[in-house]
Amino acid sequence: MDKREARSFLSAYRAGESVDDSRFAEAERHAAADPELARWWTEEQELDRAIGAKLATVAVPADLKARLTSRVVPLAVPQRSWRRAALLAAAAIVALAVLFGSWRGPFQPATSLADYREEMVSFIKVTPSLELETSDLTRITNFLQKSGAPTQIEIPASLRKLDPFGCRTLRFRGHDVALICFKRGGGRLAHLLVIDRAVVRGLGSQPQYAMEGEWATAAWTKGERDYLLAVQGDQSAAEKFISDS
Amino acid sequence: MAGVDSDQLVGQYYMPLYRFGLSLSRKESDAGDLVQQTFYAWAAKGHQLRDTSKVKTWLFTTLYREFLAQRRRDARFVETGDDESQFVEPPHVSPSAVDAIDATTVQQALHRLDDRYRAPVTLFYMQQHSYREIAEILSIPIGTVMSRISRGKAELRKALQDSVERDARKVVQVEGGSAHG
Repeated sequence: MDKREARSFLSAYRAGESVDDSRFAEAERHAAADPELARWWTEEQELDRAIGAKLATVAVPADLKARLTSRVVPLAVPQRSWRRAALLAAAAIVALAVLFGSWRGPFQPATSLADYREEMVSFIKVTPSLELETSDLTRITNFLQKSGAPTQIEIPASLRKLDPFGCRTLRFRGHDVALICFKRGGGRLAHLLVIDRAVVRGLGSQPQYAMEGEWATAAWTKGERDYLLAVQGDQSAAEKFISDS
Repeated sequence: MAGVDSDQLVGQYYMPLYRFGLSLSRKESDAGDLVQQTFYAWAAKGHQLRDTSKVKTWLFTTLYREFLAQRRRDARFVETGDDESQFVEPPHVSPSAVDAIDATTVQQALHRLDDRYRAPVTLFYMQQHSYREIAEILSIPIGTVMSRISRGKAELRKALQDSVERDARKVVQVEGGSAHG
């Protein structure tokens, strides 16, 4: 092994880490016997530390932790008996099947409206970052089309009267969701979430209203899409924006 | 496995997971989504993990698989084979030059790497994972991890060199410009 080869191996090697490849040990022996190579390797490791330190300071969104901790379900306590373990395992399999949409039952989509609503509201209640900010609905539609999100969205007439604020796509248990935000005035937004009809169970053409904390929601199906509107306020606030008048 | 406090787990890993997700997806919103999907998966399946020492690797593996699943769906990511034996000597960049540039520039240089190299190089620089763990997370042999780290680091150095030289040219231009101003 010449010095150039030794450098190429040392450049990928972290001192002290056990690697089952004799070429690294040989390169390390070269460095031990060659002061110039040793200096080069020391500088390499300093450079790695400098790059690592820079990357460790890349900013993380301030609200990400809050968003995560408000949505992660605590784990079950440890199982002590095989019977309890078996029961919990069976429950977990059903929960997983429901969670990931693999169990559909007889022609039934997997996810309950309550789950979908809760998850979407927990997402939007910490003001989500948008991928496109514009008041041009055509640009929003084009953006969503290019993103592969659900398209052919039918926005209720009352909501269409508001100025759009922007949009983004997000994922719900393996499915794309389109989020369009509208300005309500007073610095508040109305959020419309659209997902393919097959994903959420128990929705019909008549709106279903529910409160999630301080958020009023309305959910309904139209065409091949399921719609969920979320606004801060009481049910009347949600009703106001989904009327077709 | 003994119960693991989810909030504590989030607190411990959400930042490195986000940075790994950002490196993979190059998009802040996608990185946040990847981290969320990862912790959902943990909430649903984490109890199946028997060995608590594997939690970190499990989380990073899950995030990486979620990223690959999304990429495959988008049909933009093509995994190609590479020669495990190829190691390259990286171009020289001085540590002080890196100290002088900001984190965003380093991150942008990382984002310019080929997909194959970006993941192992990011995990390498996090300094939280052994080569064996990186191999597990990325589901590739350890030899491939090391050759990709070698070539990825060389690409990263070139990108950093370009940034350093570009910054130096800007300084010269500004200095030259001020003489006429």
